[in-house]
Amino acid sequence: MTTEEYAIEGLKNILYIDLGSQSYHVEERPDLYEKYLGGVGVATNLMLEEYKEGTGPLDPEMPIILSTGPLSGIYPTCTKAVALFRSPHNGELGESYAGGHLAMSMRYSGYETIVIKGASRYPVYVAVHDDKVTFRDASSIWHLSSAIDVGKILREVEPGAGRRSIIRIGPAGEMGVTYADVNVDTYRHFGRLGLGAVFGAKKLKAVLISGNRELKSPEHNAYRKTCNLLYDLIVKTGLTEKYHNLGTSENILVLNELKGLPTRNLQSAFFEGAETISGELFAEKYLLRRVSCAGCPIGCIHIAMLKRAFSKAHEYEALNISYDFELIYALGSNLGVADPEAVLELIEACEKAGVDIISMGVVLAWATEMQQRGKISTDETLGLELSWGDKGAYLRAIDLLVKAPNDFYRALGKGIAYASKKYGGEEFAIQLGGLEIPGYHTGLGNIVGLAVGFRHSHLDNAGYTADQKAFNHPISDEEIVDTIIEEEDRRSILNCLVPCLFGRNVYTYENVILALKSIGINRTEEELKELGKDIFRKKYELKKKFGFKFENLTLPKRFFETPSTTGMVEEERVRRAIEMYREKRGV
Amino acid sequence: MAKRLKVANPARCIGCYSCMMACARTWYDTISLKNSRIDIQTRGGIETPYVQIVCHACIDPPCMRACPLGALSKRKGGGVNLNKEICDGCGNCIEACLMGAIHLDAENKAVICKHCGVCPKFCPHDVLEMVEVEDSGEVKITDTGPAPDTSPVSPTASHKDLYGGEEPGEEE
Repeated sequence: MTTEEYAIEGLKNILYIDLGSQSYHVEERPDLYEKYLGGVGVATNLMLEEYKEGTGPLDPEMPIILSTGPLSGIYPTCTKAVALFRSPHNGELGESYAGGHLAMSMRYSGYETIVIKGASRYPVYVAVHDDKVTFRDASSIWHLSSAIDVGKILREVEPGAGRRSIIRIGPAGEMGVTYADVNVDTYRHFGRLGLGAVFGAKKLKAVLISGNRELKSPEHNAYRKTCNLLYDLIVKTGLTEKYHNLGTSENILVLNELKGLPTRNLQSAFFEGAETISGELFAEKYLLRRVSCAGCPIGCIHIAMLKRAFSKAHEYEALNISYDFELIYALGSNLGVADPEAVLELIEACEKAGVDIISMGVVLAWATEMQQRGKISTDETLGLELSWGDKGAYLRAIDLLVKAPNDFYRALGKGIAYASKKYGGEEFAIQLGGLEIPGYHTGLGNIVGLAVGFRHSHLDNAGYTADQKAFNHPISDEEIVDTIIEEEDRRSILNCLVPCLFGRNVYTYENVILALKSIGINRTEEELKELGKDIFRKKYELKKKFGFKFENLTLPKRFFETPSTTGMVEEERVRRAIEMYREKRGV
Repeated sequence: MAKRLKVANPARCIGCYSCMMACARTWYDTISLKNSRIDIQTRGGIETPYVQIVCHACIDPPCMRACPLGALSKRKGGGVNLNKEICDGCGNCIEACLMGAIHLDAENKAVICKHCGVCPKFCPHDVLEMVEVEDSGEVKITDTGPAPDTSPVSPTASHKDLYGGEEPGEEE
């Protein structure tokens, strides 16, 4: 089928923005959308076209690619936009997903994909209102101390309330912290791998996108029927119950019971203070409300209210802070923080700074252990003494890390792979592929999944679910590797479309085929699976160009010293499983 | 029996826009937020509570009085019926509605709620309700007992218990 027959408008447009010349143009690429549908498929191919050998992550010519898919803004829970870039954190493939209002705004603006190139000489923000693109001087909002406030200001100066998305960086992005994030509509983020630093290097403070187009389906009745079916699956069955209810933080107690919750820089996988930072406790004592990404009836964004007294005369300030499992792991168990209010305050500090919270938590945990082992002293920390559970010390450390007053804090701002090369402690720098680990120590599947994943994220292939399988019924290492491969391909397909992965059990092959068919795009399961494999090859081609080599993967000793959910893991076993993966994948 | 739409529990809104999408796809053959007769708005991004703009089903509708062409007529149960053929997009009705519940579509025709009852079916949090009214639009007084307890059916009742039917193939 040719794209001309696609009734869904916009499935051919790519908006190119050049920050250097403050110009833009639109290109039609039906060929790309025809073959790759959208999302990560289209973005990966564009990156291969754009990338010129030897271009560094922060060089002006290095593009940022934002892309949505054919289901975005069309079906419930299809709320994600993908960002593709070269990561300033590990030099590798930078890939990140964010919700909020971004995907719907992009889709209704008529630009399914946006490529941002060049760098501005002074701070700018870009506003896209339907087909109008404007560049505005952002000098007055550069140096604001909070990424949250940037949204507050732009909401006042730009139109499009409720139909727009405002993505922006905080001080960490401006300062070049390599794990700076991009805040999307206050409560969602392009979190991992440092897109915020890429924005900062381009002097791009924010991008605002609003759209108000009408799309059409060729068979409106088929579309309506499919919408109803998917809505009912999401709202009226148990398929997304976890996210409706406690949210991802439900996993704190679950993983702790399974002895898979990294604690104090993974010196243990069990946290004795888990009860007081559990999803249950947050829900009961602090949960204020839940909100949704535009177009999703789940409402998984959990917002806590922290009421803090600031005088003895009953005067309070109230902070609204969104929390999730990974944040509670990173700033809770992994820092030995059992006080839920301390966790919320630490989250707030990171949100203002605009940093990836998983990386920040792991960096602080590593620094704490370094200091406790005497490998660094108060000379490096400028007098600050870090100790497990010490909120005040960690709040100050976040502040110093972003301001980078000396070499040590500057090194911390480049992540633990970098800092441990400089200061030692590589054996307990819990990273894989240069990316600080998420909150799982479940066994072989998790470690292998993070090692081989496109971007070394748990979201690449959810290796921990392979461990969960193995925990329930012992399976061979080969089966674990096969589970990882299968999940990786399935997610590659979904990431072209692009539903939120919380809806992955709703968007089965069967339902994806139906959803596409109802908007005039015909695909068989075999064709989709072939697409998944194609994307795998293309992404590895890109990774290779960015310099990834399996031979360079270091496996920190810490993973093999701390018992996991599925017992002690031996390094040799991990290496064998990685070899198995490479053989099966041909990489 | 006449019914009208009511925003029964505004503070429960999560801003999913399901109601708007449902309205637009039911009454227009398009996929958009633009053609929805119900409007979910933000006032300060998603950091602050959502605002739901719906037709108030006035007993004596000012929009009808403002229409110079007579395109709007009284609806049974309050509010108006629109005769699209007559509407020329002058926008007087928009001015007349303090709720802000009317706008124009791409063809310059008024978009006005007809209280059809689709949007509450797509509200996962019971923000929207259809309530019974007199044909005149007057609110019917039917409940005279104590206000119902709004706490959950049981302390552990979850979304699934409240809305769920069967569970097809739930994993793990």
